[in-house]
Formats: sequence, structure tokens, C-alpha cells
Amino acid sequence: MTIENALLVSAALFAIGAYGVVSRRSLITVIMSLELMFNGVVIAAVAFSRFTPAAALLSGDPVTAEAIRSALTGHVFAIFVTAVAAGEAALAFALVFAMYRATESVEITDAAEMKN
Amino acid sequence: MMTMEVSALTTVAFWAASALTLGLAVVVVTQRDVFRAAIALAGSFMGVGILYFILSAEFVGVVQILVYVGAISVLMAFAVMFIKDIAAGSRPSQGRLVGVVVAVLAFSALAFTAYNTEWSSMDDITDPIAVAALTEGYTERTIDGEIQVLGQGVAPDAGFDIENDGVFVDSTSAIGVSLVREYMLAFELIGLLLVAALIGGLMLMREPPEGNEPESETGGASV
Repeated sequence: MTIENALLVSAALFAIGAYGVVSRRSLITVIMSLELMFNGVVIAAVAFSRFTPAAALLSGDPVTAEAIRSALTGHVFAIFVTAVAAGEAALAFALVFAMYRATESVEITDAAEMKN
Repeated sequence: MMTMEVSALTTVAFWAASALTLGLAVVVVTQRDVFRAAIALAGSFMGVGILYFILSAEFVGVVQILVYVGAISVLMAFAVMFIKDIAAGSRPSQGRLVGVVVAVLAFSALAFTAYNTEWSSMDDITDPIAVAALTEGYTERTIDGEIQVLGQGVAPDAGFDIENDGVFVDSTSAIGVSLVREYMLAFELIGLLLVAALIGGLMLMREPPEGNEPESETGGASV
């Protein structure tokens, strides 16, 4: 298990999610794929935190609590992304229901009536 | 630095969790039955949570299981049950070939970057206090108003597992301190964002009244 392996898994999850977003017709599956892409990004953030040293710990200065905590920036980033993804999922489903009420369908092709 | 070495068992667990995550993710994007896709999605989120534990991000792993497996998956299941003609399933669109091209391009670009970059290593940290703090956890001690970091030898008998592959044995409290010191503003803004999402969701979901006045609705949503 190296940083390359972890980033490979992250890239694979992101790519699978991207495929789902482009190739599915149902809005619900598209949102599921979006969540997969979010997860891929967060895996990369956690992997950087785990395998690469924080710059403040390489400077040679006496170790401070701030420098130690800066090694956890990836974790904090992961928590923020998770919070944003949760809010996004709630809003996305509200939009799906609004569309379902308006068009009796959740298929992306049926949302094209806004064109013209 | 010996404590940073990864044991063979950890590597096996890492690949097992990765296989679970990616396999179920493929099921999510290929399965026609949306309810089965939702179940596979919950399993995939669980696999990602296990990956976080293996990458010694325990708190992020717990958050992942609470938020994704516990909340977002349930939201997906609700959505599937609310939509009536979901039995028709999730058909692939004409963009399938485009999807394959996008996925292959994204994956190869990211994998190429991952394998062609000289990543700095944890072994570059030479300061013994920093090494001890990262592998065994750290303690702060305030002497004359100065915060001093204690790594090694502070609580050697307090149940610290030195052989743990972790960066932080106790990362949770350090994350908590980070959130209210370095990232205070972002932390507050996330709270604001969640309230805005809550109000926006309620506004979108509300049954339109008889008169149907969209102006008042958008006015309320911009709180």
C-alpha cells in the first residue's frame, strides 16, 4: 500500500462515477454517480494526508502544535467535502421531486423541454 | 522510520476494501434496477469507510459511515420509493460511448500523474518529536503561557500502540482543535450552507399553493 495505490483507487472510483453521470438516463442514478465521484476525491485527500509529510514538519524548526495539526489538513478537508456533499444530496433530491411533480418523469431526456 | 512501514496484512485489507468499493461502484452505474443500485451504493460507501480506517483516518471513517451509509443511502432509498414508475428502471442514455471515453481519459490522466510524480515521503521527517507525535499521538503542555509539544515518553503506558501504522493514533481530538482554530470561518460557513440547503430543500419540496405565486417562494429561499 503506497500513495500510488491509494490514488489509483481514488482515480478509478472517480472515473466510474464520471461514466455513470454521463451514461445514465435516470436522474437518481446520476446523483448516485455524483456521490461516487465525491468519494473518489475524498479518498485522494485522505491518502495525501496519510502518505506525504506536512511542510511545517520538514522545516527543521522546533515542532509546534500547529505544525503537528497541519498534518491533518486532509482529514479536515474530507469532513468539509462530506458536509457539502450531504447538503448537495438533499437539494438534488428536492429538485428531482420538483421535476417529477412537473413532468411525471425523472429521466434527463424529459427535462430537455426547457430548450427553445 | 520503522513505525511508518505498512504491514502485509494492512496491504491485503487495503486491496480487499478497494475491490469491494470499486466492484459495487460498477454495479451502481450498470444496474438497471434503481433499488438494487441504491443498495450497492450503500455497500460501496461502506467500503470507502473501511478504506479510511485502513488509511488511519478513523474520524473521517466514522463520519463517512454516519453521513453516507446512514443518511445519504436512506435518502436514496426514500427517493426510489417515492418515484412511481421506477420499475421501468434506469436505462442507459445515448451518451454511453461518451461515458466510456470520459471515464478512460479521466482515469488514465489521474493514474499517469499518480505514478509519474516524485511524492515526498513520511521518511523525510527527521525530527524525533515530530515522528513520535505523528505515530504515537501528542500531548500539549502549557509552561509559562508557551504551548509545548510532547511526543515520545509522555504516556508510554497509557495504551498507545506504537506498532500501529497510523499517522495519528488519536487524530480525533486534533481534528476538533483544528476545526475551531485554523478552520473556524470555514466551519461556521458550513453550518450556514447546511441551513441554506435545508431551507432550499423545504422550499422546493413544498406543495405549490392554489394561487401558485413563485415570486414569494424564491424570496423566501434566499434567506
